Amino acid sequence: MGTASLTAEARAAAVASRRFGAWFVAEHHLRVWRRYLGVSVATAVGTPFMYLLAFGIGLGVLVNANTGPAGVDGVSYLVFIAPALIATSAVMIASDEFSYPVMQGLKWNRVYFGMHAAPLSARQVVDGLMIFASIRIAATTLVYFLVMAAFGGVPAATGVLTVPVAVLSGIALGAPLFAYSASLREDRGQFAVMQRVLVLPLTLFSGTLFPLDQLPAFLQPIGWLSPLWHGAELGRVVGYGADRPGWLIAVHLVFLVVLAVAGWRLAVRVMRGRLDT
Amino acid sequence: MSAVTEQRLLRRGGVRALYAGNARAVVGRGLVATRSSNWVVMASGFFEPVFYLLSLGVGLGALIGTVTDATGREIPYAAFIAPALLAVAAMNGAIYDSTWNVFFKMNFGKLYEGMLATSLGPLDIALGEILLALFRGAVYGVGFQIVMQLMGLNLSWWALLAVPAVCLIAFGFAAVGMGVTSYFTTFQQMEWIMFVLTPMFMLSATFFPITIYPEPVQWFVMALPLWHGVELIRGLTTGVVGPELLVHVAYYAVMIVVGLFFTTRRLRALFLD
Repeated sequence: MGTASLTAEARAAAVASRRFGAWFVAEHHLRVWRRYLGVSVATAVGTPFMYLLAFGIGLGVLVNANTGPAGVDGVSYLVFIAPALIATSAVMIASDEFSYPVMQGLKWNRVYFGMHAAPLSARQVVDGLMIFASIRIAATTLVYFLVMAAFGGVPAATGVLTVPVAVLSGIALGAPLFAYSASLREDRGQFAVMQRVLVLPLTLFSGTLFPLDQLPAFLQPIGWLSPLWHGAELGRVVGYGADRPGWLIAVHLVFLVVLAVAGWRLAVRVMRGRLDT
Repeated sequence: MSAVTEQRLLRRGGVRALYAGNARAVVGRGLVATRSSNWVVMASGFFEPVFYLLSLGVGLGALIGTVTDATGREIPYAAFIAPALLAVAAMNGAIYDSTWNVFFKMNFGKLYEGMLATSLGPLDIALGEILLALFRGAVYGVGFQIVMQLMGLNLSWWALLAVPAVCLIAFGFAAVGMGVTSYFTTFQQMEWIMFVLTPMFMLSATFFPITIYPEPVQWFVMALPLWHGVELIRGLTTGVVGPELLVHVAYYAVMIVVGLFFTTRRLRALFLD
């Protein structure tokens, strides 16, 4: 083989990696996913049923007994929580995929350095994980949506839009988390701490199991900052046509998009700092 | 004497071959390690049930109002859910320590191989690690008890007994958790633990009385260890005390004995046989 054809082959490969690099990275993550697909599928299918049983039915009996036929926000308790539970699962996956695995790629198995030497840019490495996480979140929340819909939890025809809303909520939490995880050099339990003092409060005080205004005023701002609250409220609008003012819907959307885009850009910057050295 | 007979004799050695009476060395090492590395992680565990109590007790309490307890008394939802969260905190504290920590020590730190190369036996290690988990459960339990008292959710003086009850629950879960962990070899398999714990957390009469379920489901829930913990602590903090609480205590006593036996055997099989 002559030098000329080798050069041409290398050029072709370089073009492919420049154009599709992020997708190659996503493919890598998808293949790795196969290794924990068992527990992933079990959780994706089992959790919505468990939520239905525990919250939709069990807690619903208590809530409906107290609120009477008016229900919560004008609908039955199950319909009220279903969009929020779909968004919750998205946020949970995001906090999974953008914590330990990021440190693993940078520190333990250093696969991101391998990709960067491949050569893929730091941006493509970030985009690839974002694409993969979006796929995983979309697949899981679709299962949730189908289970919830099968039990009458999502009455409106627009309800299927809870899936893209959930993906947006997941990325809005996941992208800034990615930037943070990528900035860590050592594992000193920051992830466990962050899970408890950041992700958990953002989940608990975000109007998922009850309307946010049921909380005392000093706890409500936690919900305003939570991507999950904005995602759950948007989900309620598309899920059962919750009556929300147009400006508030716009605020929800803008907040999520800004968080996702800003986090994503920050993640690219941090990853450049780690990889381009 | 051939090597085979020698080994047989060693295996027949009973407890002395397994236990050097020095579990405190393992506990001491664990405490020093906690102080130097992961005390923040440990401290943050305390906030978990407090956040749950603030969110569900207050927010959901506003939707639900009161719950009827076993004696037909109406109690505030927060007072109903708080003892359940205390039992869950005991379980989580014990499980994190006896599973994640043990997993790392076993697979990455190779800590137990080192310990077994000294005079320590597998029962020393099992007991030491479980006592550590127990200690953690007790710390969470006492902290949460104080929060409950401040929020006025302890309805009876029996609540003082909730702290030893928390230790009992933590002991039971730690004893079993460590044995189970010894079967796992990869990170992802650890998610199975959550797969078992989360439903148990949600279905063990934690958020609503068990009577909401149809009877077969009730029997299933009553077989789960967490339900016994929840009922035990709820009985104590709400002051509904009767001989049935001893059944819950007995459940944990059996769980502790079986767990210790099983974990010791596993450690011996993994590292000594």
